[in-house]
Parts: sequence; structure tokens; C-alpha cells
Amino acid sequence: MMRRFFAPLLAAGLLAGAAAHAEDTLSPLKFQSEGAFGSIDLAAAQRGFAVYQGVCASCHGMGALHYRDLQALGFTAEQVAGIAASVKLADGSAATPDSHFKEPAPVNMGGATPPDLSSIVAQRPGGTRYIYNFLTGFGPAPAGITLLPGHNYNAAFPGGQVSMPDVLRDNAVTYADGTKATKAQEAADVAEFLTWASDPNLSARHAVGLRAVIFFAFLTIVAVLTKRRIWRQEG
Amino acid sequence: MEAKQGWLASRVPGLGCVCGLMKEGRAPGVCWIAALPALLGALLAVLLASGAVITVYYNPWHAYASLQGITREVRGGWLVLSYHQVGASLAFALLYLHLFRILLVRGYRAPAEFAWMLWVKLLALLLLTGWLGFVLNGGEGGYSSLFNTSNAATTLSGFPGAVAMWFLGGQPGGSTLARLLVFHVLLALCAVWVILMARAAARKARPMLQGRVVPFWPVYAAQYFAALSALALLFALLLGFAPHWGQGTQNAIPAAAMAVPSISYPWYLTPLAGLAGVFPSVTGHIWAVVAAVALLYALPWLDRSKGAPPGRVYKLLTWLLALDVLALGLFTACPIGPMLPELLTFWFFFHFLVLTPLVTMMEAA
Amino acid sequence: MAESTAKPGAVPAEADRRDFLRILAMAGGAVGVASVIWPLVDALNPDAAGAAQAQPIVTVSDIPENSAKTVYWANMPILIRRLTDKQIADAEVVAMTDLPDPAEISSRVAPGNGHFVVVVGLNTGTPCELEGNSPSGPRGNYEGWVCPCDGSQYDVLGRVRSGPAKRNLAIPRFTFINKAQIQLG
Repeated sequence: MMRRFFAPLLAAGLLAGAAAHAEDTLSPLKFQSEGAFGSIDLAAAQRGFAVYQGVCASCHGMGALHYRDLQALGFTAEQVAGIAASVKLADGSAATPDSHFKEPAPVNMGGATPPDLSSIVAQRPGGTRYIYNFLTGFGPAPAGITLLPGHNYNAAFPGGQVSMPDVLRDNAVTYADGTKATKAQEAADVAEFLTWASDPNLSARHAVGLRAVIFFAFLTIVAVLTKRRIWRQEG
Repeated sequence: MEAKQGWLASRVPGLGCVCGLMKEGRAPGVCWIAALPALLGALLAVLLASGAVITVYYNPWHAYASLQGITREVRGGWLVLSYHQVGASLAFALLYLHLFRILLVRGYRAPAEFAWMLWVKLLALLLLTGWLGFVLNGGEGGYSSLFNTSNAATTLSGFPGAVAMWFLGGQPGGSTLARLLVFHVLLALCAVWVILMARAAARKARPMLQGRVVPFWPVYAAQYFAALSALALLFALLLGFAPHWGQGTQNAIPAAAMAVPSISYPWYLTPLAGLAGVFPSVTGHIWAVVAAVALLYALPWLDRSKGAPPGRVYKLLTWLLALDVLALGLFTACPIGPMLPELLTFWFFFHFLVLTPLVTMMEAA
Repeated sequence: MAESTAKPGAVPAEADRRDFLRILAMAGGAVGVASVIWPLVDALNPDAAGAAQAQPIVTVSDIPENSAKTVYWANMPILIRRLTDKQIADAEVVAMTDLPDPAEISSRVAPGNGHFVVVVGLNTGTPCELEGNSPSGPRGNYEGWVCPCDGSQYDVLGRVRSGPAKRNLAIPRFTFINKAQIQLG
């Protein structure tokens, strides 16, 4: 009951908040998921999922995730069912919330295969920021670098050249919450979404950790006082 | 209450012994650091309990995928995995600290040499168990390490080769992780037995109590409890805010036979990995590890001090050895110079083979 | 407690404070141990995949009249059949004495969704999967299902009518979550 009452308020608050400081998070770049007390920015991650679904999913799978997992991003069960139903699986049937994310048809990019993105943030040094830098790092090759055939220059990629083309552009997707879909915004949102995908328990871990630290700090103080008192009397 | 305890103790074998430990007299004013073995036991209990839960869901034929499943699908599975990871990290930290303390006070000499040998056995067991855990992740780093090790094992001949083949069951394949899981569990259970033995042996080697005696309960119970709370605080800090501290990101990538990265071990294996890496060929690595552990094992006989208390030079050298091992781990993880690991490894062997007998002999004279 | 504070002097007060500290430490320790153990116990509950598998949702609105579809649940084939009005009317006039295992129609269909029959599609005689989902397939003399192994025949409600089998088809636990979907389990 309480949840039903607060959910729209919460969602509205989240969207309003995100829209209000969407520009701020880009210059200077900051992610809510960063740092010891970080938590996933659900509004950004929802937008990031839209970018993944609209742009990335045609080549990159996320085999470790199910559509039902998206409820953790604040999508309702009905929304998730709608998202799943709109996905046509390889055998022609519609996905259900319990389906794994659809595996794209295999692509060969000149010998390289697009990596699965389920845990990409955990697998790359620099994590979230690397994803953002990579997606915004495409550009013309500087003098002195000869690109291999079928490769593109990317400043963030180790070695500078990558088979993946520059896929993000302004308004590549339309955001449901009305945020302006600039290229940088899309990159930041998809980076936050992939951060959640790699570590779906990030927010819970920080919350549990904080509570446990406070409790055991208190217990340690009590235990040390008890020990001192006992030692003074009997030790 | 007293009568009830007597009733139970007279019927349950061993209970009287446990209750006796509670009332056991001890010398007053022992430093909290003597509680390290008890803390290590508590961590081992956490490791066993979390390991049992992980084993329920772990699938050695799809190791990486099943661990992903534990993280994503099992209720609180991420927390259980973190218990195991952080628990292993802290268990190594406490064991290294405990060994260093024994070295510093020369606690390895008769009549405590048997207890010391058991602690070294525990180190060997935990190192092997920790390596198996690293491999069982099914990640890129673990797979490469397994691949290298089994490659080396095939080049060993005679008895060592036969043992290695028996342990690994040939080239890494579908069932390798299943058999390594069994060894991981068995060795962990052995470690529990060894830590109990070591504690009993250390108790037996304690000097006779003289003068004032205080009971374990409540005096030392309160001290152990305070130490355990502090450990729990450290555990919670790591668990919440640095769950992968010292582990590297390599095992986050699923193992692929084609990828052969240079392996980054978890921090507690890096000093040994660095020491092994100095020697040529993988066969050399294996013998270097065996030699390093054997030297620790033989320490009671390398020490020629005949009961003299540790002198200033000895203490300084022991501190140097600790720094040496730390540096070996650090510079293996982040290499900076070409000859540094060689130099640090040389110092490790030089310390035990030359400096220890020499200095202890001079101090005894 | 009240007694000791009533007495003057520092010793009882000291003892009180010590007792309070000790009790606090012990209680804290108990809470700490319990909260460390709890996740380990909780993790043994069914995981998300298991929970989804245990109670699958099946869409039944796409079943044509007089047809059935098979879904597999708990390693059993579950047959879901949509009846025609005529089949319901016919089933209502069958005398209980004609049935080897008498069962009223009300006990065989979901209340409020009388057009759907949900049964476990395993013959109750020789263990075998039943045939007869499609109107054109073999259905026996009672328009229901037949067993290809021992020839037992069932009617549209899954009641046994002839053959070695002696019991009606089992009905699994299910609920209609809306007009179009049922949830098994």
C-alpha cells in the first residue's frame, strides 16, 4: 500500500531530479554509482537500458541477464512484460520476463567478435568511466597512426584502434523521461546501466556495508570497554 | 545450573574438557595478539559455512556461469560469495601476521617446534587451498594458472610427476574443476584439523604457570570478544566497500582457451608467485615453492641459539624479512625494476640459510 | 536493580554498570553472530530462476476452442483445453454411474472459468503421455484424450471412461491471474 502510494512520487522525483541535473553530471562528468557510498542512478540506468536496447543490442549480448532483472531498475512488472513482449527471439516467439536477454546474431568485425556486456564494467580497468570514454572517444586518427582495414580510431581503447564503429549520435534514441538525448548523455547513461548490469548489488552492498560497519564499530567500543573493566577488576 | 552442567558433562564425552578450558588458569596480562589463532579459527568457520552454501550452487562444468548465477540469482548470493572472498583474504592476513609474530619472539623453538611445524603446514594448506579457489573461479587468470601448472606437471618425471598428474588429472578439461573442487574442500577440512592440532600443541608447549593465575572466563573471553569485534569491523569494511581488494579484475573475464594473459594473482599468493617466477621454467617454479615452505619447516633446526632470547640484530633481520616478503608481493603485482624480484628472493633464502644460523649462533655465544 | 541502587556506596553502582556493559556486549555479540549467519541460511532458499520455474505463467487465451496445448511443468506435461459450450452441456448429462471414477463437472474445471480444463497429461494406467490435443488427432470415443500405450480413454474433462486406467487425470495447482493467463503451482 505504502509502496503503491510512494512509487509514483518516487519515480517522479527521480525523473525530475535526473532531468534537473542531467547537464551537471556531464560537466564535470560524475556517476552516482562511483565512490564508497555510490548507488545506481535508476533514472540514468533506465535511459541507459533504452540506449542498449536501441543501439548496442544489435551486436552485443547480455547473456547473464533476464528481462525480469530490469525490475531492479524501477520498471514495473507490467513495463518489464511489455519490454519482453516487444523482443522477438531467434525462433520467432516473443520473449517473456523470464527469458535471458536476446542473443544477437553472430557478427564478425574483421576477426573480432563483439563482447558480451553482462560484466563489462567489472572486466575493464577504469570500469564505468572507461565505458564513457570509449563511447565518446571515437574520432579521426591522429597523424602517425595507420589504421588497420575495417578499424576505427578510439582514443580510450588500448592501442587506439578498434573494429567497432562509432555508433552513438545525438537523438539515437528518444528518452521516455524527456531528457535531451545528446551523444554524451547517451554514453553516460549506458555506462551507468552497464555498471548496474555488472554489479546489480552495488547499492545493496554499500547499504549493508554501512549498517554493518556502524554496528560492529559500536560493538567493538562496547567490547573494549567491557574488557577494560573486567581486566581492571580481575586481571 | 552447576548441577546440570555436571550432569551433562558426566554423560557427554569431551564436554568436560571444553568447560575446563573456560575455567583454565592463565598468566595475567597476555597481549591480545595471542588471540590471533582464535580469530583465524573464526574466519575458517566463516569460510566453511559460506563455502558450503556456494558448493550448493557451484557447477564445476560451468564454473564462471554458475558463480554469475550465485551473484545475480541466488538470494543474497553476492553476500555469501563476498564472505568467502573477504574471509580468505583476512585469513591469510592473520596467518601471515601470526607467523611473523612467532618468528619475532622465536616462538618456534623447542618445546614449541611441533606447534610451529603445524602452523607452517597450515600455511602450505591454505596456500594450496587459496590457489585452488583462485582456479575454481573459472576466470581468465585462474584458467591460465591452471594451464601453466598442468603443462609443467607433464614435464615432471618420476614420483613428483606422478603426484602432479594424480592431483590434476591430466590436461585441464571438463572435469578438472570438479576434481579440484573436491581437493579444495578436503584441504580446507584438513586446515581445520591442523589449526586445532596446532592450538593444542601450542598449549602443551606453554611454560608452567607461576605466581598469580587468572581464569579464561571472563578475563580472556572478554579480550577475545573485543578482538573478534574488531575483526568483524574490518570484515564489514572490506565487504561493503572493497570486496575485491587485492584480487585484480582478471577473474571477472570468463576463461577462454585462446587468451593467455600474464596472471595477476590475489595479493596473498603474490609473494610466493614472485618468488617462484624468479626461477627459470615452470618446473623451477614448483621446486622454488616447495623449497621456500621446506625452509620455514626446518627453521627450528636452522636456529642455533640454544635458548637465548632474541637479540637486537635478530629482531632487525626478522623485520627486514617481513618487508622483503611484502616488497616481493608488491613488486610482483606492479613490476618496476628488472632485478628486484631476483634480489628479494635471494634475500629470502639468504635470511634462512645463512643469516639465521649465523646470527643465532653469535647471540648464543 | 532497585534494591542495589537504593543502597548508598560506589560498589553496587559499579557492579550494576559492569553488568549492563556485559549484558550489552553479550547481546551485541549474539545479534552480530545471528546477522552474520542469517544470509547463509537465507541463500539456501530457491533462487530467482527456481522461483520463476516453480510458478510459470501460461497464456491460455490463444488456445482455440475444442483444442488443447501442452506445457511442461515440474517435468510433467500439463494439458490445457478450451471446451465448447456443447461439450460442457454434454458433460453435464453424463450419469455418475457411467464413470469408473465419478467426479462432478464442477470439480474438474476452474470456478468462474468453466471453459478451461487443466490436467496432468499422464495416463493413470501404464505411464505414458496422452494424445488428443488437436481435434484432428486420435481422441477416442469420448472426444477427450487416449493413451497410445494401453488404449485408455478419457473424456473432455479428463475423466477416465474406459481402459485399464482406473483414475481420472490429476489436476495440478493453478490459478487464473486474469482472463487470459494462468499461473501453475
